[in-house]
Amino acid sequence: MSLVNLDFAEELKEYSGDTALECFNCGTCAAICPLVNDNFPRRMIRYIQVGAREKILENSDELWRCLHCGLCTHTCPREADPGEIILGLKRFVLANWRKS
Amino acid sequence: MFNPRDIIEVLAANVRQTKSPFGIPKFMVNTWFKDLSLHKEGEYLLFTGLMYQFSPFIETSTQYLEKYEDTKTADYLKYAKWVPGYISGIGLAMMTKGKEKRKAGQPLKNIVYLLQKSKVDFGYRPELDDYSGILLYDMGDQKEFVAHAKKVAQKLQSAGIKKIITVDPHTAYALKELFPKYTGISFDVKPYFELLNFEPKDCSLEVTLHDPCFFGRYLKASDITRKQLSNMGISLTNIRNQGEFTSCCGGPAESISPSLSNEIMEKRAKELEEPGKPIIAYCPICLGNLKKSNANVEDLSSLLARHV
Ligand code: SF4
Ligand code: SF4
Repeated sequence: MSLVNLDFAEELKEYSGDTALECFNCGTCAAICPLVNDNFPRRMIRYIQVGAREKILENSDELWRCLHCGLCTHTCPREADPGEIILGLKRFVLANWRKS
Repeated sequence: MFNPRDIIEVLAANVRQTKSPFGIPKFMVNTWFKDLSLHKEGEYLLFTGLMYQFSPFIETSTQYLEKYEDTKTADYLKYAKWVPGYISGIGLAMMTKGKEKRKAGQPLKNIVYLLQKSKVDFGYRPELDDYSGILLYDMGDQKEFVAHAKKVAQKLQSAGIKKIITVDPHTAYALKELFPKYTGISFDVKPYFELLNFEPKDCSLEVTLHDPCFFGRYLKASDITRKQLSNMGISLTNIRNQGEFTSCCGGPAESISPSLSNEIMEKRAKELEEPGKPIIAYCPICLGNLKKSNANVEDLSSLLARHV
């Protein structure tokens, strides 16, 4: 089981806007995403909400499948900006790789 | 799928060393203007961002990446960052056919023709025409993107440039939205089709328009294209995903996963081919990617230049 990191949302602020908490998990983004891939990007946003930092790092390669096409951001009913959150996660993961 | 870190480190090293993500020196990439006599000065600066010029090289490199995706050889990619960018870039340039390189410059010549016909006062200065760094931004390499973007923006600013014409959606987005935010330097940026001004015409043609994500959605510029086409009497077929709700061509995934990119491209090409009319793209990445499906696709500038 992965550890939950309650400061994760705070840590992410350096890399991304803090809209993840707006998400109410409706799944519109995952339904519309051209990747049609296992609840992406919704799942990643859920990981942020619950502080599952390690889960994101474990599944990080998936982030780069994202085309940054913006369709999810455009259709999200909560203006949670999922496309930009994924871009922010790429920045966060890359910074972690470079630190390691 | 390739290891994203390997790809990013190669791209970043190439941009640092050669200002090009593919490591190809600019004099080998940017040759389209050489047989034209273009003014250097004008109200606007034509800034191509080199994206159309890169497209044949992207095609060559994708063909190689396709061969090695998910094989053991893919692991060697991480060592590519130790090869000086210009060496791998010259190799890539030599593997790309001259005919393809010349073909890639044609949309730019069409755009020049269209701007001149519209009496737009513009100049072209190849020394100021640089890659915007957008791929680094999309890949999440914010540090390298900002460092590169600052150099490009400062060079333009020092040359006294205020108004810029862009030709592709990725460069347009970088200059219009990202440069002000991350370099603190702003320009008045217009896509070329916004400045076109022709007498109305009736071409009695019907085409299917593929809006690129960055013009259609991010920059909300697809209405301008529609107005230009309608002014020429060119009508559009009605497809499901268009304008702000356009669907990606899959191009951005080319370097990380050519197979994923192909999968998305085939889906989109099928949707675009459904009405059975010629397909019009207005982004070099979309154009190159959709061509791979053997779809009947051409650049907006070619269609317009043929009919004005
Ligand atoms: S569409 Fe918006 S609210 Fe719905 S799951 Fe995705 S990010 Fe959350
Ligand atoms: S931006 Fe990424 S996550 Fe969002 S719809 Fe496009 S490919 Fe999917």
